[in-house]
Amino acid sequence: MKSIVNCLFLLFLLQLITLCLIASISFISLESTITLFIFDFLFASLTFQLNGTMSRKLGLLAIGNFVGLFWNFVFFNFYSVGAFYFGEFFGAFYTITYPILNLMWIVPFWSLSLSVFPKMQHASALVN
Amino acid sequence: MLVILEVFFLFLTALMIVYLVRHYIFTFTVLRRAKIPKADSASTNITYEPTVSILIPARNEEKVIGRLLQRTAELTYPKNKMQLIVVDDASSDGTGQIIDEYSKRYPFIEVLHRDKTEGGKSKTSAMNAGFKQAKGEIILCFDADYYPQKDIVEKLAKPFANSKVGAVQGRVVVLNEPQNIITRLVALERIGGYRVDQEARDSLELIPQFGGTVGGFRRSLLENLGGWDENILAEDTDLTFRVYLAGYRVAYVGDAECYEEAVDNWRAYWTQRYRWARGHMQCCFKHSLNVLKSKNLKAKEKIDGLLLLNVYFMPLIVLVSLVVGVPLIFFESSKLAGILWFSVPISFYSFVGNFAPFFEVGIGAHLDGRRRIQWLIPFLMFTFLYNIPICTKAFIDLVISRILGKNHNVWAKTTHIGNGNSYITNQTICTERLP
Repeated sequence: MKSIVNCLFLLFLLQLITLCLIASISFISLESTITLFIFDFLFASLTFQLNGTMSRKLGLLAIGNFVGLFWNFVFFNFYSVGAFYFGEFFGAFYTITYPILNLMWIVPFWSLSLSVFPKMQHASALVN
Repeated sequence: MLVILEVFFLFLTALMIVYLVRHYIFTFTVLRRAKIPKADSASTNITYEPTVSILIPARNEEKVIGRLLQRTAELTYPKNKMQLIVVDDASSDGTGQIIDEYSKRYPFIEVLHRDKTEGGKSKTSAMNAGFKQAKGEIILCFDADYYPQKDIVEKLAKPFANSKVGAVQGRVVVLNEPQNIITRLVALERIGGYRVDQEARDSLELIPQFGGTVGGFRRSLLENLGGWDENILAEDTDLTFRVYLAGYRVAYVGDAECYEEAVDNWRAYWTQRYRWARGHMQCCFKHSLNVLKSKNLKAKEKIDGLLLLNVYFMPLIVLVSLVVGVPLIFFESSKLAGILWFSVPISFYSFVGNFAPFFEVGIGAHLDGRRRIQWLIPFLMFTFLYNIPICTKAFIDLVISRILGKNHNVWAKTTHIGNGNSYITNQTICTERLP
């Protein structure tokens, strides 16, 4: 029974991540979907190898996708308003700053999430 | 004009992506290796106890040298097989007297005093002077501010049982990490550089780098190579490539840890990194062609060697790609420029400190069992931004000196003021546990 609930929970988390990706391409932009893919790739390929339950890993990945989606949504709206007032010039500004600003959520979120996983090895704080 | 710029931008971003992929492979490799249980120590316990000479160059190190010499007396390696040569390199403080006192107390400690006429020029010059006096089969090197594990000599000597190993490198860990934000960031750089980068290069049989300290050489090889090159500022990188070009390899021993006093202010950081950058670029000019032509190197070693030699050019390349990329996007040359632009900011987080990307540093810290230091990873962007002018100046200075034919290197020594001493309590190195 417990394993079935666990499987259902994992499926739910996977659905959430997929929804975030679909929402990003439908309501924001292709760039935001690419950004979420980069984050998902890094997170899945590296942190999934660390100790910890799959539900914890997928849970963190889902939270990350939500954070990314929210961040991109805010930034896209900011761009829309900017483009309305400043025109084409703002498009270039958006393109230049877009990846830089996205790393501002990817790197801290990824770094913070590492603390959630159990230690893999003991710290080498002793000199013999 | 725009097409030329675009092709140039494509070339620069391709280079950055190559480095990103390289470091991703490193991180992935180390993670896979970490999951494999280590072999039983009894089965890998090879008894190999060659005679060892340890060289310690010391110039105005009175605040730290006593700590190291006391520690060497506690080393577990048989003292009858160990020779310790401390080179007092024209010190103007009490370094010489401290070494003399320890030399009287412990017979295996030998002193080589150099006056201002012959000494005080560079670390390499001091090392060569000490090497002439060395008698051991294995030559190990330590910096004066280091604090080694008691069994470090056994760990560093062991790989030499393999006749193909010409040099060995241990791990450098920051001793004064909790001191301030700079020492913490340097500690992160060291973690990325050693825990992941060096270890991956060793296990993938690429080119692990001899780091100038906490390592050593087979004596016969070092004699054949003619010792340290006094015209190169990054003598460690230079020796790494000379070892490989001679048909030997460098072994990395991650559990041979030695604790160093990291730079604790931005000025000292600049001085140290400028020396590293300029020295590394000198090595790039000196060895790139030899690496390509070498018959002793495999294809993967050549690729990694070239990437390693060029790594200090990366901050410059990121700077140039910014300068080229921004106008391209403003002029809307093509969709490709916009897509490639993605790699530029990623590179901001990819060439920090020892040029390890954020994910590499994070995984390294996690594998070390660290819980909180990863939180500082976003701030590594500032050290990278700081590295841009450092590497740019190093490159310009080097080009000017080559054009003018003046290959005069000023060895800017890192000052050690003993800040690490307070972090050694009861033989325990305090990192996150104590303020």
